Amino acid sequence: MLRRLLGDSRAVLASPNRNARSAVVFGRLLGIAFVICFGTGLFSHFLQDPLPWMRFPTRPTQLYQFTQGLHITAGIAIIPLLFAKLNTVMPALLQDPPVRGPLHLLERLSIAVFVSAAIVQVGTGLVNTYQWYPWPFPFRQVHYALSYVLIGSLVIHIATKLPVIVRYWRARDSYDAEGRFVRDDTVGSELPPYGLAHPASAPYPRGLVGRVMRWVDGAPAASTTGGAEPSRASRPDDESRPGGQDAADPARNLSPEPSLGVRAGRRERIARRGFFAGVAAATAGVVVLTVGQSSRLGEPFNVFAPRQRGRGPAGLPVNRTARAAGVLATATAADWTLTVVGPRLTRTFSRAELVALGMTEVALPISCVEGWSQMARWKGIRMRDLLATVQAEPSSEVRVTSLERHGGYRIMDMGPEYAADPTTLVALELNGATLDLDHGFPARIIAPGRPGVLQTKWIERIEVRS
Amino acid sequence: MRATRIVLVVLGVLVLAFGAYVLVTTVKPNRIGGLAVWLIAAVVLHDAVLSPFVVLVGLGLRRAGRALRVWVLVVVQTAVVLGSVLALVVVPEIAAKAHGAKNPTVVPFDYTGRLLLVEGVLLVVVVAALVIGFVTARRSAGTVVESTTIS
Repeated sequence: MLRRLLGDSRAVLASPNRNARSAVVFGRLLGIAFVICFGTGLFSHFLQDPLPWMRFPTRPTQLYQFTQGLHITAGIAIIPLLFAKLNTVMPALLQDPPVRGPLHLLERLSIAVFVSAAIVQVGTGLVNTYQWYPWPFPFRQVHYALSYVLIGSLVIHIATKLPVIVRYWRARDSYDAEGRFVRDDTVGSELPPYGLAHPASAPYPRGLVGRVMRWVDGAPAASTTGGAEPSRASRPDDESRPGGQDAADPARNLSPEPSLGVRAGRRERIARRGFFAGVAAATAGVVVLTVGQSSRLGEPFNVFAPRQRGRGPAGLPVNRTARAAGVLATATAADWTLTVVGPRLTRTFSRAELVALGMTEVALPISCVEGWSQMARWKGIRMRDLLATVQAEPSSEVRVTSLERHGGYRIMDMGPEYAADPTTLVALELNGATLDLDHGFPARIIAPGRPGVLQTKWIERIEVRS
Repeated sequence: MRATRIVLVVLGVLVLAFGAYVLVTTVKPNRIGGLAVWLIAAVVLHDAVLSPFVVLVGLGLRRAGRALRVWVLVVVQTAVVLGSVLALVVVPEIAAKAHGAKNPTVVPFDYTGRLLLVEGVLLVVVVAALVIGFVTARRSAGTVVESTTIS
C-alpha cells in the first residue's frame, strides 16, 4: 500500500525539470552562494571575535561594507535557489525502498541535516536583518555553529553525489541532439525517469493519485487511457492520437510532422527553460528589490529592504538608540569627559579640549552586520594623535569602553592596525553637524573596514593595553 | 573518484563535528533544545507543507498548460514563482514590523502595502497574458502549442 503510494507519487512528480542535470545546475549555484556566505561570514565573525594572532586589512576602507553586503545579498539569493533545488529533487524524498542499507541511511540523514540546517540558517538570517528574534536560541552563536554544520553536510553531500555531479556537469553530456535528458543509471541518480515512469500507454494508477493525474491530463474519469488527450508537458508520448486536438488542428496538419524524438525534446527543453526562467526571475526580483540597502546601484529599487539609505538622524540609519542603550542622561551630562589611559600617563578631555587637539575629516562607511551600509563624512581626532597625548605608540592595542550600561559591545577591543590608521577617529561630527545623540554623542569611534557594532558609540574611556 | 569521495566525506564529517562542538560549547543545553525543535520543524514544514503546496500549484499549471500557449504559461509560472518568493521574504518583515521596530530607521516602509502593490502588478501581468493569449489563440484558431510546468 505504502509502496504503491510512493511509486504513484513519484510518477506524479516526474518532470522534465526534475532530473539530475537540473539538480547539478541549481546545486552549483547554491554551492557558490553557500561558500560566499560561509567565507564572508567567517570574515565577519573573526573581525568581531579575533583569535589573538589575527590582524586585518584596513584598506580598502569599504572592504567590510562589500563583504557583508555580499553575505546578506547572497543569503537572500539562496532562498529561491534553495526552493528550486528542493523542488528539483523532491521525488527523491519518496524513493522506494526508503532506505537501501546502512550507508544509504547515513546519506539520507546527512541530507536531512543539510536541508534543515540550510532552511533554519537562511530563514533566521533573513529575519535577523529585520531585527526580530522570535526563536528560543541565541542568534549569533547558533548562526556561527550552524554554518560549519551546513558546510560540512554540503561537503558530504557533494561526496555522495560526486558521480552524478561529474556525469551531468556539462550540458552537452546531459542532453541528446533533440534536447532530451540522457538518463544514465550507472551514476545512481535517485530521480525518477521522465517519460518512463508513467508512459501514456500505461493505465493510470488506481485511487486518489490516479484520479488527480487523470484530472490534470483531462482524461475522462472512466477511461483508463484510450481516448485521453494528455497535457503536452506531462505526457511524453502523446503523438498522433486519433480524435485528439492534434488531428483537429489544421495548421499543424499542413506541415510535415516532426519526428517523435524532436517533439519530445522540444517539449522537455521548453519546460526546463520555463522553470529556469521562473527561478531566475524570482532570484533577480528578490535581490534587486532589497539590495538597495547595501549598494548604490540598487537604491532606486529598494522596495523591500529593512533599511533605507539616507533615512535617520543626519541622514544615516541607527541600530541602537541612546534610549535603548540607557545613556540618555550620561551622554548629555555637562561634565562628560573622555579618559585616555596610557602605559604611564592618564589624561581626561572635555569635548572642547578634544576639539582643540585638532580635527580631521574622513569619509568612512557604517557597515552593519545585518547588511545595510552607508557612506558618511566624519570629523574628529585621530586615534593615533590621541594616543600620542598619553605617550603611547600609534600601533597600540586599545580597549574602548562605552557609557552603555549593558550589551555585548559595551567594551570594544581594537587591534594596532586600526589604532595606527590615519582614518581611525574619535568622531565628534557627522555629515557636517554635531554628532546626533543616537549616533553616539558626545564622541564615538569610526574605523576603516570594521562592522558597525565595533564603531563604539557614547565612549567614555580609551585604555592602552600594550 | 573513490579517493576523492572518501577525502570529501572525512572532511565534511570533521567540519560538521566542529560545528556541533561549537554549538554545545557556546549555547546552553536548554537553548539547544529550542534549536532542535526549530531544525526538525524546518524539515517538517518543507516536507509536509511546502512540497505538497508546490506539487498542487505545479499540477494546476500542468492542467492549465493543456489550454495555454507557451509564452502565456511561462509568464504565469514566472509570476507565481516570483510572487511566492517575495511573499515568503516580505511576510516575516511585516510580522517584524507589527512586532515593533526598535527605532524608526528599522523596517521603515509600509511593507504590507508594498507587497500588495507588487503582487497586484504581478496579477495584472498574469491576467493580461491570459487575455492576450486567449484572444490571439482564437484568431489563429487554436494553433497547437507546447506547454511547460514547474513540476
